[in-house]
Amino acid sequence: MSSQSHRLASGGLIDRSTPMNFTFDGKPMTGYAGDTLASALVANGVRLVGRSFKYHRPRGILTAGSEEPNALVELRSGARREPNTKATTAELYDGLEAASQNRWPSLRHDFLSVNQLASPIFVAGFYYKTFMWPAALWEKLYEPLIRRAAGLGRAAEAPDPDSYEKAWAHCDVLVAGGGPTGLAAALAAGRTGARVILCDEGTQFGGRLLSDGGEIDSMPSGEWAAKALAELEALPNVRIMARTTVTGVYDGGVHSALERVSDHLPVPPAHTPRQRLWRIVARRSVVAAGAIERPIVFPGNDVPGVMTASAMRTYISRYAATPARRIALFTNNDDGWKTVEAALAAGLAVAAVVDSRAEISAAQRETARGAGFAILNGAVDRVDGGKDGIGSISVALAGGARATVEADGLAVSGGWNPALALTSYHRGRPKWRNDIAAFVPDSPPPGMHAAGAANGSFGLAACLADGHAAGASAASDLGFSKSAGKASSAADAPETPLSPVWHVAGKGKAFVDYQNDVTASDIELSAREGFQSVEHLKRYTTLGMATDQGKTSNVSGLAIMAAVTGRSIPETGTTIYRPPYVPTSMGALAGTNRGEHFHATRLTPSHHWAEEQGAVFVDTGLWKRAQWYPRAGEKDWLESVTREVRTVRSGVGFCDVSTLGKIDVHGPDAGAFLDRVYINTFSTLAVGKARYGLMLREDGMVYDDGTTSRLAEDHYFLTTTTAKAGPVMQHLEFCRQVLFPELDVQLTSVSDQWAQFSIAGPKVRDLLREIVDPEEDLSNEGFPFMGVREVALRGGIRARLFRISFSGEMAFEISVPARFGDALVRNLMRAGEPFGIIPYGTEALGVMRVEKGHVAGPELNGTTTAGDLGLGKMMSSKKDYIGRTMAGRDALTAPDRQVVVGIRPTDKARRLRSGAHLIPMGEMPEPSTDHGYVTSVCFSPMLDQWIGLGLLARGRDRIGEVMRAHDPLRGEDYDVEICNPVFYDPEGGRQRG
Amino acid sequence: MAELSWVATAPLSHVLKPGHHGAETGGSGVAYTGLSDFALVQVMARRGKASALAKAAKAHFGVAAPLKPKAVAAGGSLLIWSGPDQFLALSPRDGLASPLASLAGPLAGAASLSDQSDARALIRIAGPRARDVLAKFCSLDLDASVFPVGTAAATSVDHTAVTLWRGEDTAGGAATFNLLVFTSFAESLWHMMLDAGAAYGIEVGEASYGV
Amino acid sequence: MRIACPYCGPRENGEFSYLGDATPVRPSLEQGVDAMLDYVFLRDNVAGEMQELWYHGGGCRAWLKVTRNTLTHEISAVEAARGAGAAKVGKR
Repeated sequence: MSSQSHRLASGGLIDRSTPMNFTFDGKPMTGYAGDTLASALVANGVRLVGRSFKYHRPRGILTAGSEEPNALVELRSGARREPNTKATTAELYDGLEAASQNRWPSLRHDFLSVNQLASPIFVAGFYYKTFMWPAALWEKLYEPLIRRAAGLGRAAEAPDPDSYEKAWAHCDVLVAGGGPTGLAAALAAGRTGARVILCDEGTQFGGRLLSDGGEIDSMPSGEWAAKALAELEALPNVRIMARTTVTGVYDGGVHSALERVSDHLPVPPAHTPRQRLWRIVARRSVVAAGAIERPIVFPGNDVPGVMTASAMRTYISRYAATPARRIALFTNNDDGWKTVEAALAAGLAVAAVVDSRAEISAAQRETARGAGFAILNGAVDRVDGGKDGIGSISVALAGGARATVEADGLAVSGGWNPALALTSYHRGRPKWRNDIAAFVPDSPPPGMHAAGAANGSFGLAACLADGHAAGASAASDLGFSKSAGKASSAADAPETPLSPVWHVAGKGKAFVDYQNDVTASDIELSAREGFQSVEHLKRYTTLGMATDQGKTSNVSGLAIMAAVTGRSIPETGTTIYRPPYVPTSMGALAGTNRGEHFHATRLTPSHHWAEEQGAVFVDTGLWKRAQWYPRAGEKDWLESVTREVRTVRSGVGFCDVSTLGKIDVHGPDAGAFLDRVYINTFSTLAVGKARYGLMLREDGMVYDDGTTSRLAEDHYFLTTTTAKAGPVMQHLEFCRQVLFPELDVQLTSVSDQWAQFSIAGPKVRDLLREIVDPEEDLSNEGFPFMGVREVALRGGIRARLFRISFSGEMAFEISVPARFGDALVRNLMRAGEPFGIIPYGTEALGVMRVEKGHVAGPELNGTTTAGDLGLGKMMSSKKDYIGRTMAGRDALTAPDRQVVVGIRPTDKARRLRSGAHLIPMGEMPEPSTDHGYVTSVCFSPMLDQWIGLGLLARGRDRIGEVMRAHDPLRGEDYDVEICNPVFYDPEGGRQRG
Repeated sequence: MAELSWVATAPLSHVLKPGHHGAETGGSGVAYTGLSDFALVQVMARRGKASALAKAAKAHFGVAAPLKPKAVAAGGSLLIWSGPDQFLALSPRDGLASPLASLAGPLAGAASLSDQSDARALIRIAGPRARDVLAKFCSLDLDASVFPVGTAAATSVDHTAVTLWRGEDTAGGAATFNLLVFTSFAESLWHMMLDAGAAYGIEVGEASYGV
Repeated sequence: MRIACPYCGPRENGEFSYLGDATPVRPSLEQGVDAMLDYVFLRDNVAGEMQELWYHGGGCRAWLKVTRNTLTHEISAVEAARGAGAAKVGKR
């Protein structure tokens, strides 16, 4: 069947002047602009669109909206292939490729449909009871088989070529849903001058009006909708968003909405994202999301050709595509009859109406008489058929007799469920209304109101009035006093009440959750096994857990559970509603934060110069730092880094240390403040001096370290490690504002203000004399160790010079305003050329500090105390400071604690690895013999072997001991000697000269 | 002695390419301008000295410093609220002179000062689509009804701290927003901003602040 | 979630970081280790309204005391910490 065999000759909202070619399972077909993939498939007479998840039953299109559970296809191919896309919401475009899922080798001949024969095994919860014996077969046989059979569509296997965006929007009133209710609400609110955002998940606004017609304000409803839209578009305070689904409601009036910007195009236009995720901050919101028709549960209700009644008339009226030539209707309410009227108006045959109610209206009788079809009072209790569609429809009549109906399409209407998910995302539980046999919103999130069908008001007149009232009151609530205008009106025909029919018992599988293949008997099984609470029912049977989140099954499922357990529906209750309302792509959630731009990147002042030198970079948090600077001919990083260390220790080199956190601490109480946060004293530090400081957490563990200088009486310059710059600033502000607000101190981050470089090596003074103004005294007496001064540089700019050393060599740190950082580096290279100056990176920096036994991040790991690090003597006993009391706890001062030691393999050729554990000689490695571990390692050019630092119980008493380094992760075991952590120049003479 | 050269490098100098970027929209999109050569000082009142600072600032700048999130023009300077009892003073850079020098005397004792002139890059986003662009990376409500000219905000963009204020509309009546972003983040944020505005068409330019 | 910073106005939650219960008071040195242990480790698990410390790090950098209901998430009050800005505060 193809070439639009089921396209009606006239009518519909499609654009017949724009045909579109597409393929389904490789077969070329044609549709029109305005079609969805589903409506185009219907027009081409396609009935079979997929195979069900578990039983591989042939399935057809059940609905025409985003509640669709069956018609899930793979859309597109290659890098843009997306699985589980609903054909009912995918807009047709020229060249669209779609494929059915979950079948092999083909949709019509699916070998895995043998699952159906084994269906007694595959009932709900089968995986808790099967594939257990023999246990050895699980990993080798059962799991791989189940894995291959599981899942639906296939994800793409190449990077997504499209871009995605996130954006913010703010409004006074958010209207979710653009049918008659939503349009009325948006008009009312928009006319008052309030800022309104109106969203609809569809391409066109109008909701059910697009399918059901009707009259509003004495004009055809389509005309009314067009007028309403034109008025809204002309209001500057109204933003209209089509193809946008409101997907979530969060605290504080924050809503998420997914805009399908380019999903309807083969390729997104230039500079345009594929999808956009909005966060909309709304002071009030109106949920006008309509209602979802519910199917009735009966055996064979999943045969292709069985469709919800509203969907059938949507295809007939809106898309001019008919799913069948001869239809039957099974209904328990008046609304289903609209499908009969639509079918007759389109010239289709109606075989019969099966109505579960005894009371039929005169108008309905007249329709049946005029068209010559029977009205059967009873229920459909079986549909026979398969991949070729419906074979026959069996009816159990009210009196006990039976009847058979011949039709190739069965429209089913079990009533309507308000689409209230958005109103229940704050753990709201809806309330049951017997008169419509449906749940309606109860206690929505603050500022939100439901209106129209979403609130249980199903008539057009009621929707218009409801929508207007909701929009007007939301605006007036916020103080917008301009008139909301007059509400629009319609006339609704009187209705005979619905009579609930949840489940028609009979022979064969009766499906509740189509997507997860959950049947009525699964629910009965769940009850028998004791899983009777609705939350247990959900998880035991997986009812409502598929990508459609039970939109067509939740209420029917719990109604069946209620009946089986003798409870009322409200007593049985609902499960918790959770966002997002529709599946949301990872791309949309990430927006632009992916790949290179996953997070913002920070560059140092010397970054581009380092790039020119061919530096290799490493990510340190958000920063890019030069790790080493390879030279031509060097075979690996080890050779480059070793060369850098040797050159610094014998000549001179410089390293960009701008990434360390830098904080200006100002004020009369700046010194007193630092005394509270550091373990040692800073209030006594002389102006022009720097001091190493250690900060603890309040629980006594070491938090961070740095060098803090006193630049003036009331001005300190504090540094932190790179990683802790932000957290330390937050901690200091906490101390300033909450803990010690009586101290007069002000804090400013200056990390980016200064370009800071460490310059180290025996030739450093020679180099500095080339850079610094000749008037400055850089001698040991003129600029003593740990001194700090502002100096003039040759050429007019001023710099700060700090005589501090991390490398253990004679060293200074120089800082200039960041805009001169690049110039400084080039000047250092130029001026340092006679001395063989080189830049060195973070690796060489790390080697040198390990050689000097300086602790850093791997030792400040959150479990070490000042004492453990060998810095216990720094702890002042004369003042309170953060962490002092807790650091004094017995366990933190116990003599057997793991403390910092030096470690080196006894075999000089052996590589030491961090993470190796230290075991006494002769002992078996196990937790009780695990005395410590290696924290930092490097290849030391000065000692010509691998060395490291580590933490060892009673380490200071064990210098000289030989132990086992046990490394089960790498499968290594070797001897190491415990030694003084200061491997190189232990007297410190080199940096103090 | 080697020749030393002290050329200043602006934060965006490697990435700001003047000219058109993105879609062709006939200038109906946005203009991004990188503004350099400014002096920026963080002024924070000392405890109990908020009113003393207010008096001293009024005397020095001629205008009261803002007590609410606003940017206030004060002669050649712009005073931008940056938090409780603190503001930023933005002015054209005066060569190599320390921006703190002129303020240290007048504000002595009432405030602590910190030079931020090199710590920030200044980017101006203006044009008919300025708000659409900002909506992609700024969570603030910038609608004219709640964010009039002169309003300022301390906020974040891409999880980095940003100071933002609304300047005078363009000659064509379009909104103008100024953003001070941290120097080390400037290139990364600039790339992000180019992506955000490409669909609207961007005219990129550079200028010295205050000229 | 949004928090109305008293200085900046309502802002989205990404601008803030959460510390915890605002009610514990840091003990003085003289109060000893037991008081400090409680201060560091013991917290009430409040179901309902509690006072929380939040830092507006992505904004004006003020520390805030937020009264928030842990069940409904409703924020009923936000005030700045005693020592925010240049407030002159006596010792506790």
